[in-house]
Amino acid sequence: MTVESRLAEAAPGAGLARLAGSTLLVKLGAGVVLLGLWELGVRAWAPAYVARPSGVLAVLPEVIASRAFLSAAAATLGAVLEGLAIALVLGIAVGIAMGRSFAVDRLIRYYVFGLFAMPMVAILPLITLWFGYTGAARLATTVFAAFFSIVLNAADGARAVPLEYLEVGRSFRARRWRVLADIVLPASMPYLLAGIRLGAARALIGAVVAEFFISVNGLGFFILFNSRSFRHNQAIVAVLVLAGAGVGLEALVNWATRHYFPWYRRDEKPR
Amino acid sequence: MSVRPRSPRALGWLITGLGLAAGAALWEIVGRETGAAFMAPLSETLLRLAELAHTGELWQALASSLALFGAGFALSVAVGVPLGLLLARMRLLRIALESYIAILNATPIAALIPFILSLMGFGFAPKVLVVFLFAVFPILYNTVEGARSIRPELIEVARSFRSTERALWRDVLLPFVLPFALTGIRQAIGRALVGMIAAEFFLSASGLGMMLQSASQSFDTATIFAAILLVTLLGVALMELGGALERRYAAWRNIRT
Repeated sequence: MTVESRLAEAAPGAGLARLAGSTLLVKLGAGVVLLGLWELGVRAWAPAYVARPSGVLAVLPEVIASRAFLSAAAATLGAVLEGLAIALVLGIAVGIAMGRSFAVDRLIRYYVFGLFAMPMVAILPLITLWFGYTGAARLATTVFAAFFSIVLNAADGARAVPLEYLEVGRSFRARRWRVLADIVLPASMPYLLAGIRLGAARALIGAVVAEFFISVNGLGFFILFNSRSFRHNQAIVAVLVLAGAGVGLEALVNWATRHYFPWYRRDEKPR
Repeated sequence: MSVRPRSPRALGWLITGLGLAAGAALWEIVGRETGAAFMAPLSETLLRLAELAHTGELWQALASSLALFGAGFALSVAVGVPLGLLLARMRLLRIALESYIAILNATPIAALIPFILSLMGFGFAPKVLVVFLFAVFPILYNTVEGARSIRPELIEVARSFRSTERALWRDVLLPFVLPFALTGIRQAIGRALVGMIAAEFFLSASGLGMMLQSASQSFDTATIFAAILLVTLLGVALMELGGALERRYAAWRNIRT
């Protein structure tokens, strides 16, 4: 199906779309309109320090080259990746144990559900008591934020492994841990990836909120500091980097899912 | 399993009960060993919870938090679902906006809190805005996803039978998009809760967020744990509600075709 024929499907405005020629053009046009509205709205109604696209563009090179910004970006994104990695290793182990063992599942399911449903911001006061006002507190927040969505999805995946796979493993007298490592883990990967996608988003929020709370160097603190000194344009640059990180992590996981697990349907419910 | 239980269900509950009892015992022991500045034991936490409930402080905080959650969440549903439906019908608008919705859905909205603070100051409205922004994008994102899943043939068939616009909405668009919207609403519940606590921490302090923050300033771990326990129960209850709604009205969505 070509782009044109897809666009020409019966709907109001389809003719317009054909005029515009391609979806990309429509999207870009919409982006220009949105940015224009932002620019005009701020110029018309908001005080001068409020961020607007032209102002952000003007400060962009200077901010990106500044040492304060680079160290903040490295601190936050590093903490998110490190937290994700820790949550991933622990989460896979716990999740697969939960998915494959009835006893483990019944033993910890209420803890996992409960802590998954708990808004992670709420434990910040505790984390600062335990880890102090340090980077370790931020790392702990990202691990905590990502861990439970990874566990739940890994458990769902481990539960959904087709019985035939396990039977083949058993008829070849595979050891239990070989079954887990070579059959259960690969078969539950698509679920795991969905868990990583959600965990990454939560870890990013966790890192930013932790930085607000504990005032440790990072993009969240960069935003807080600059917005307090009425340098909103500079602060927006950090928001753009965070948005880029969120979109990038999501795109990476989606790409991996499509590329390595084309048989997996995306509309299966994510947690 | 070598030992075959007479009833796996009963065994399950037994293990769950043991797990909960062990957790409670562990909490109590660790709390007693480490001291109140680190972790209050379970018994003390429950006593504090009862005390806070008795003085009414608990209900006040809960009511204030729920009002914030309710206002922001209701607003996000009231905006997100109709807008999502509109995008389902207006193809060009959907193509134009869906990428931006996806980007905003992946952006940590928490990063916008300082801007909201400096533009709108302290008060109820900026906090509602925070909860709204946390919750609205998952709803929009999932609804648009639903809109994209409508097969164009369905609309074409409806049109060839000279279906009225109203019938088209009732029989094609709503049944297709609503399950996705409900998934979005379920995801939005979790986000809105995070937004609620974040708004109460970083904008004007109120509700459970204020309770947590003031307790942490005085190293009062019993109150911290009591508030966390309450927030967790609230989260579980709301998520269960969202899940039940989704299962009730969106059951067919998980059927493979």
